[in-house]
Amino acid sequence: MNKKTSKDKANAVCVAEAAQMTENLVATKQGKKKDKLSKKKRKSKEKINASVGIVDKPVDGNEVHLQEKFRKDRKRKSKGQLLETSKGANQDEVYEIPSGDDDCSKGMKKWLTDYHRSRPGLKVLQQRIDEFIIEQEAKLERERKEKEARLTEGGWILVEHHKGRKKTTDTESGTTVGSVSQTAVEEKLAKKKSKEVFDFYRFQKREAQRSELMILQSKFEQDKKRIQQLRAARKFRPY
Amino acid sequence: METETCIDSMDFRVQELLKEARLECSSALTKLVDDTVSAIKSAIDKIPEDLQVTADWAPGFVRDIGADKAEFKFKKPKSIEIGGSYSIGCIAKPDVNVDLLLRLPKECFHEKDYLNYRYHAKRCLYLCVIKKHLKSSSSIQKVEWSALQNEARKPVLVVYPAANLGEVPGLFIRIIPTATSLFDLSKLNMKRNNVRALNAGDDPQPTPIYNCSILEDMYLEEKSNFVKKTFSGWKELGEALILLKVWARLRSSIYVHDCLNGFLISIIVSYLVAKNKINRDMMPMGIFRATLKFIETHPLWKHGLYFPMSDQNASSKGNEQLNSSTRFNVAFRISSVAYPELQDEVALTLRCLEKCRDGGFEEIFTTKIDNAAKYDYCVRLNLKGNSEVYSLGFCLDEECWRVYEQDVHSLLNQGLTDRAKFIRVIWRNTYSDFNVENGLSALDSEPLFVGISVSSVEKAFRVVDIGPNAEKKDEALMFRKFWGEKAELRRFQDGKIAESTVWESKQGTRHLILKRIIEFLLGRHLSLSKKDIVPVVDQLDFCLLHDGKDLVSHSVKLLGTFEELSKRLRSIEDVPLKISSVQPLDSAFRFTSVFPPEPHPLANKKVDVARLHNLTPFCVQSLEVMIQACYYFLEGSGNWPMDDVLIEKTKSVFLLKIAESLQDNWGITCTATEEDVDVFMDGYAFRLRILHERGLSLVNNEIGGDQMKRVSSADKMLFVRSQHASMINGLQFRYPIFGPVVRLAKRWLASHLFSACLAEEAAELLVAYLFLKPLPFNVPCSRITGFLRFLRLLAEHDWAFSPLVVDINGDLSQNDEKEIDDNFTQNRKAYEENTQNESKAMFLATAYDKASEAWTRCSPNPLELKRLAAYARSSASLLTKLILQNQTDSRGWECLLRTPLSLYDAVILLHGDRLPYPKRLLFTSELDQGIFLGGKGRHVAHGNASTCFHPFLLPSDMKGSSLEQLKTKLMVNFDPLRCFVGDVEKGFSNRLKLWYDSLGGDAIGLTWERSKKREREEEETSGKYPVDLLRNIGELGKGFVRDVYLLKAPRFSS
Repeated sequence: MNKKTSKDKANAVCVAEAAQMTENLVATKQGKKKDKLSKKKRKSKEKINASVGIVDKPVDGNEVHLQEKFRKDRKRKSKGQLLETSKGANQDEVYEIPSGDDDCSKGMKKWLTDYHRSRPGLKVLQQRIDEFIIEQEAKLERERKEKEARLTEGGWILVEHHKGRKKTTDTESGTTVGSVSQTAVEEKLAKKKSKEVFDFYRFQKREAQRSELMILQSKFEQDKKRIQQLRAARKFRPY
Repeated sequence: METETCIDSMDFRVQELLKEARLECSSALTKLVDDTVSAIKSAIDKIPEDLQVTADWAPGFVRDIGADKAEFKFKKPKSIEIGGSYSIGCIAKPDVNVDLLLRLPKECFHEKDYLNYRYHAKRCLYLCVIKKHLKSSSSIQKVEWSALQNEARKPVLVVYPAANLGEVPGLFIRIIPTATSLFDLSKLNMKRNNVRALNAGDDPQPTPIYNCSILEDMYLEEKSNFVKKTFSGWKELGEALILLKVWARLRSSIYVHDCLNGFLISIIVSYLVAKNKINRDMMPMGIFRATLKFIETHPLWKHGLYFPMSDQNASSKGNEQLNSSTRFNVAFRISSVAYPELQDEVALTLRCLEKCRDGGFEEIFTTKIDNAAKYDYCVRLNLKGNSEVYSLGFCLDEECWRVYEQDVHSLLNQGLTDRAKFIRVIWRNTYSDFNVENGLSALDSEPLFVGISVSSVEKAFRVVDIGPNAEKKDEALMFRKFWGEKAELRRFQDGKIAESTVWESKQGTRHLILKRIIEFLLGRHLSLSKKDIVPVVDQLDFCLLHDGKDLVSHSVKLLGTFEELSKRLRSIEDVPLKISSVQPLDSAFRFTSVFPPEPHPLANKKVDVARLHNLTPFCVQSLEVMIQACYYFLEGSGNWPMDDVLIEKTKSVFLLKIAESLQDNWGITCTATEEDVDVFMDGYAFRLRILHERGLSLVNNEIGGDQMKRVSSADKMLFVRSQHASMINGLQFRYPIFGPVVRLAKRWLASHLFSACLAEEAAELLVAYLFLKPLPFNVPCSRITGFLRFLRLLAEHDWAFSPLVVDINGDLSQNDEKEIDDNFTQNRKAYEENTQNESKAMFLATAYDKASEAWTRCSPNPLELKRLAAYARSSASLLTKLILQNQTDSRGWECLLRTPLSLYDAVILLHGDRLPYPKRLLFTSELDQGIFLGGKGRHVAHGNASTCFHPFLLPSDMKGSSLEQLKTKLMVNFDPLRCFVGDVEKGFSNRLKLWYDSLGGDAIGLTWERSKKREREEEETSGKYPVDLLRNIGELGKGFVRDVYLLKAPRFSS
């Protein structure tokens, strides 16, 4: 039950958002014009922010109380947040991010250097990858050997699978043993399966019927549930 | 239990629908209606007998309809009775109105008043008198004018009761006069002329429509009683009627004045009962289906529904033509244009019943088929104050607006020939402040709507229309007269010389041909100026243009280059592998990329440095292609490593070898990183990928856990992508309009910062669904219609409960569908059991991906999907409004792609001129100052632009550097936005989520993730959590981030 109400709430929020959005769609119309004026505005924004900071200081004492509210009351949230921000003096200023043209650790410069560094040329790359593979293979080999060593320590002997061509004839008798390709086996298996008769016994038939009925029933249950949901979402209202 | 399981889900839903739509007659409602009716009666009773009524009561009306005599002494009405759907208990919400039939007294009329609009004038004056007296009644809130079925010469009174009932908001009572046995029926024979003003020379012309207009009133009561009698005590029939009404109302192209209305439907149903087509054993859905079948095919219907019913006399005239006897065609309003449209709509509905999931319930009863979504081309004609419309008088046989509708229709029909399947012209004339007393000239305020269904895209895009042969003089003359200066005599390839029209247009602008034809014809024949014609065709094209050009026109060249590249790749010999095939992966190859790359002047073998213009971009988009190959030395030996990392490395080695070979043999420039190899050819950069074939064979037989694990995910992804690419490419050839619709959809998604939520392939599949399963519509044939339907699909599809199955090649068997269903139920069950597991909120199944693994596995999650749907809903309703009502300005259209930034918790704005393709930026984003004035948000940081990156080659770059150096300066797929997003997500992905536009937007939205309480409290105590965090994020984007704003501080998780 609880869950449902929260869902409904989310729904309501969503709808409200959508409504607000259309308003905003209209509101943001003038974006292009503003571009030219943006510099001027930025200054004025700074001023506004600064003044907000001053006004807020006296409220500081209420902080604990407000934070309580902040938890419950969404609308009040902005107030609580202003309080937080008024703690540090420099918090109210607009922080200036440097262009970072001389700093390779962050931002545009970093991305550019990363880009160029990742493309040292075909030859160098080839070498790097070769080295990597050799090292990797060596590592694997080392690991394998270590493992083997560990196992033999305990008195066990590792029986290894022989690589190379599969022997198709028995060495002693000379009869063909022959390996069969994987796909052939699978095909054969698949064919075998299809030949199996499922409803040979009556009880099998009955069981099959029952399970089918169960499936139908569960489907119906699901349908019912779905309709309830749809009803909740007013999906049946044709207008 | 047993019986319960027997109800199939369609019936169950229909019952639910009926509960919702049917208006239950509560006692409160009955009382309200009864009270109001008696108030009306008593008000009428108070009107003094023998009150002299003259034309002065409504001088404008009498003048405009051209009645010659209109004077009478008022007498009380003969009877006042409730009729219509209220009387049979079949009101379908939400339009709740009660019809009150008021029989006009014979004493007020002369025997010959059927002539020259005298009846209409007196009818109206009679209502004027009543209206005046109703106003004084206390239980009546207001009285307004309306018109019967949009027929302005037959006004009715709409009475709103003073009391308001919560369950039926907006209830009103319509007072409809009837004229039972006022006139001699034989005088109203269809062949008689009753409007003397209408004559050709001395010959009076018959006035069938006018006569019908009077006959309708004369038969109204009889019809109403007939319906009442049929419906009384028959529940199923009433329910079927409600279903039919719901069905019809959702289809605005057939529920209008020249086609169906509620009363007509009830008469049709009654008629079927009388003819024994419907019997008492039938369920509501059965009656519904029987009625539709009748409408679709029955010959009776074709000639009209005659009243009173006697043995049918088969007249073979068309539906709109009226029978020569005085029997009255009840369906006389259905025009010859509307009738085929109605048949088509009915046929589509019947197909839904057969073919759609769950019996087509949603398609039939809940999907709105309004004109904006139905017609491929919509045109609005603004005719306000256009005196041409009524230059011949407002009303002759027909009203001037209906005549104008017909004129426009026949003009377009003749001009568009077989380009159009249906042309529908509808002009609504009544509006809420309609005031009869002032006459009819104000009825042109609403725009006239023209909807065109295209027969096929090929025909609609045809450049040359061939007219009559030059030898046929008369026809050729007619043609010339019709087309004026557009007609030209041409000699065609087969030697024929014929009149023709040519609509020369560039590739990619063919969809404008129809618009040009319409504008030309309306201008030439109806002298409408361009500003009064608003065709909805190209209003959204602006968002697909790059620097004023549609880049898709380069695609042909791209495909040629790709062919050449794959030929060269396949002929490579100095590499230990044999390339067997090369497949395109990028959406640019299938015409669905919003911005396919332009050939870059530097990505070429030979470069003419002098020709480099100033705005040569620094970056090149790369296009992925997939290589399938046989490996000589590895073949069959199992020497491929099993480790994922090693497999990818081995692939890189091969790719580097291939690149070297291309470089040595063809002089092609290549550049590579450890992961990617890019090849420059003819201005394009191709990024090569290798498919590891052994992985592929394992993908094909998905047996289960163990083996699947062995397939490296990279190979699986490559395989799925290639499958997708080839299937969509096939689809794109079947439906030429598919590409543009996908591009609009992708642009919309990106503009609303959904790039991270919905993969571009998923968007392609969604649009593909519109083309593959168009019901209840026809396949969309224009980009805007397709786009609108995409938005509605996104908004309305029941994502939580049904998978979207996109059967691209139409080859899914029943077993496949069952498999998909099973996968879906499994997934949803898993979700229910563990709500943390937020996967596949959007379940998209295709032949190559039956478990929706490929595109929507991780995103969108349920919350994102909810946001997507909400945005789509609001955009869809805005777009519908723009198509049907709004003015001509382009602002509204831009709003479809402007996203409101205030809906995020924080916003990061970027330096637009540091984006790799600044020209793709639609609008420079700016935060609205209003947000700050409300104290809600604050400006946290401002950043300076970096000087080390410019999107365009500067003259200084070109000077003094050799060609090779210049080439190395080119950056393949360099995208600061992606780098920035990557860095931020690496650092903070558990605390926030980014919403961005990967197609070139300059805004990033940011929402807080709900994090653990303890973590938050720690940060809370340090006091400056959101601000410092945002500054850190800004630092990560040094040189790229312009401004950072905080709008909402994070919330505690509850």
